[in-house]
Amino acid sequence: MSHLQERLAACFAGVFPDIQPDEVPRASTASLAAWDSVAHVTLLSAVSEEFGVEFEMEDYEDLVSYALILDCLEGKLA
Amino acid sequence: MTLNQALSICRNRTKGDTSSPYFLACGCQPLHLGTLLEAHLFQKLADDGIGVSTGHYVDLPGSLELASGSNCVGAFVLVEWSDLDPRLGLRSSGGWSPASITDILGTCAERCARMADSLQRLSGRMPVVVVPPGLPHAPIGTTISAQASQVEMELESCLTGFLLRLSRLPGVRVLARSALAAVGSSAPRLDAKMELLAGFPYTIPYADALVEAAVGLMVQQTPKKGLITDMDDTFWSGIVGEVGIDKVSWDQSSHTQAHGLYQQMLGHLADMGVLLGVASKNEQSVVESALARPDLYLKAESLFPVRANWGPKSKSVAEILKIWNIDQTAAVFIDDSPMELSEVQAAFPGITCIQFKGKDANGVWELLGRLRDLFGKPQVGAEDLLRRASIQAAEQIRDAGDSASSPEFLRGLAGCVTIEYAKDPSDRRSVELVNKTNQFNLNGLRIGEGEWLRMLEKPETVLSVVSYTDKFGPLGKIAVAVGTRSEGTVNLSHWVMSCRAFSRRIEHHTLASLFETWDAEEIAFDFAPTAKNQPLQDFLSSLGLTGDDSGKYRISRAEFFARSGELPHSVSHP
Repeated sequence: MSHLQERLAACFAGVFPDIQPDEVPRASTASLAAWDSVAHVTLLSAVSEEFGVEFEMEDYEDLVSYALILDCLEGKLA
Repeated sequence: MTLNQALSICRNRTKGDTSSPYFLACGCQPLHLGTLLEAHLFQKLADDGIGVSTGHYVDLPGSLELASGSNCVGAFVLVEWSDLDPRLGLRSSGGWSPASITDILGTCAERCARMADSLQRLSGRMPVVVVPPGLPHAPIGTTISAQASQVEMELESCLTGFLLRLSRLPGVRVLARSALAAVGSSAPRLDAKMELLAGFPYTIPYADALVEAAVGLMVQQTPKKGLITDMDDTFWSGIVGEVGIDKVSWDQSSHTQAHGLYQQMLGHLADMGVLLGVASKNEQSVVESALARPDLYLKAESLFPVRANWGPKSKSVAEILKIWNIDQTAAVFIDDSPMELSEVQAAFPGITCIQFKGKDANGVWELLGRLRDLFGKPQVGAEDLLRRASIQAAEQIRDAGDSASSPEFLRGLAGCVTIEYAKDPSDRRSVELVNKTNQFNLNGLRIGEGEWLRMLEKPETVLSVVSYTDKFGPLGKIAVAVGTRSEGTVNLSHWVMSCRAFSRRIEHHTLASLFETWDAEEIAFDFAPTAKNQPLQDFLSSLGLTGDDSGKYRISRAEFFARSGELPHSVSHP
């Protein structure tokens, strides 16, 4: 796991206290019951703060899984 | 605190049963506010039972009603302009035509009145912190933004009237708008994108600063009780023993107004019930003569005791603390001399020592603000104003020496003990006594205002509030006993008595009244020794009490009346 992935996983752990570490890479709004609209805003706010990046309005609709967020982050930080 | 830090605190903290729930009422989506509030409360209180409940989105009045019906121990109420009328926020499309603006002003007035009523009810059940609007309202003025428009002034007037009404409620603490202006002053406040996206209008740094300030209002530091001041070049300018009584000064025309300001602040503190004492290296007669000058900015009798001598200041400070009967941590010592401050600080590490710099006007101004924060409290009660007089009376009793404990002396006091059993939730003095009394304290347990109010609501709770007056004057409410009543036993969980009321056998009257009023056969005490409650321990020993197998101390009615001795005062139960 890269440093970026570790930091992203830490954001997930902060917002979803009950998530197991091995569940994080597969986490999505479909797989995680706790990932509701409030948790979604909290998660993206936490990620935004952690990495110093801004998400656009449409990002909030699109970034519905760990993989998509990771991909978006890699693009923004490249 | 960042959001991630707050999330981490909330995730990692130990969580017990939610015994200390707080209510967060706001018109926006609570989102990060709830997380930040839980984290800040936990940092401040380290209470495993902390929880945060929230109300309805975009319905602040409804949330206030919900809070009133809850079992929370405190409420945080965040008001923004959009709560007074949604058209003042970002998410409304009602428009800002002249007719709309007239309607907006009417809606604001109506909502303020309704919320003030709700907050009055809420504050009767728990302490409430109100945070006024910190975000800008919609740009509805017809002027450029630098010019205040009439409608903005109308809105400000409406808000000020609302906050003024709230500030008069005993259980409400309004965050000062001047303090709000300083909250997160360097950071942007409004996050328009997040408001439109999720109904959360605050930037995270501002939300954090806001929550921290609100928690600071809810959980205030214990105010200091007494201030000991130097005289020469502190209380006044000049060395009185050298220049003479008429030549020391504290006025504008002598360019020594900084000392005059300090005197005015001391007078203000005295009016709040703060104890003021003097520790000066001087002749006692010289200082007393100078304090007789009619142009002092405070009443000389506000200063008690006055200790002027050539010994170490720490010795005078020790004498003053003993007369006041307060802990060194509850006192502030002010002197212009770093050497004197150092000597006192070495002898009393817990005292707050502050240097007075009369030539530094800005420094003196800052000192006055610091004194306000050291001594300020949510509300000044009647008992605060009796404190100095009752200490002087206690000093007279001490001067009577051994005879002060004799039945003849106690009878001669013509004392009257008033014992009230009404569980009055608006009486904040009782919980204040429980939380600040150390010496005559059953177990040292503290209790939050909200928990206190919840406890009073229980039918089995017994509350005994004791006031006292005698020929030396009234002491006000000086003792509180709280417990539960069950099958002939009154079980006391909290029992405190102000040190000002020692040596008058008021504690004996309190127990006698409990036995008689509740027809009790036994009183049980949840006693625990603390580092400071020796006077309580001595009292229990004087009644021959020791703990039973469960650690409880018990005394039967027959044992008490056989051992209590004479009860010298008249007693009334209003």
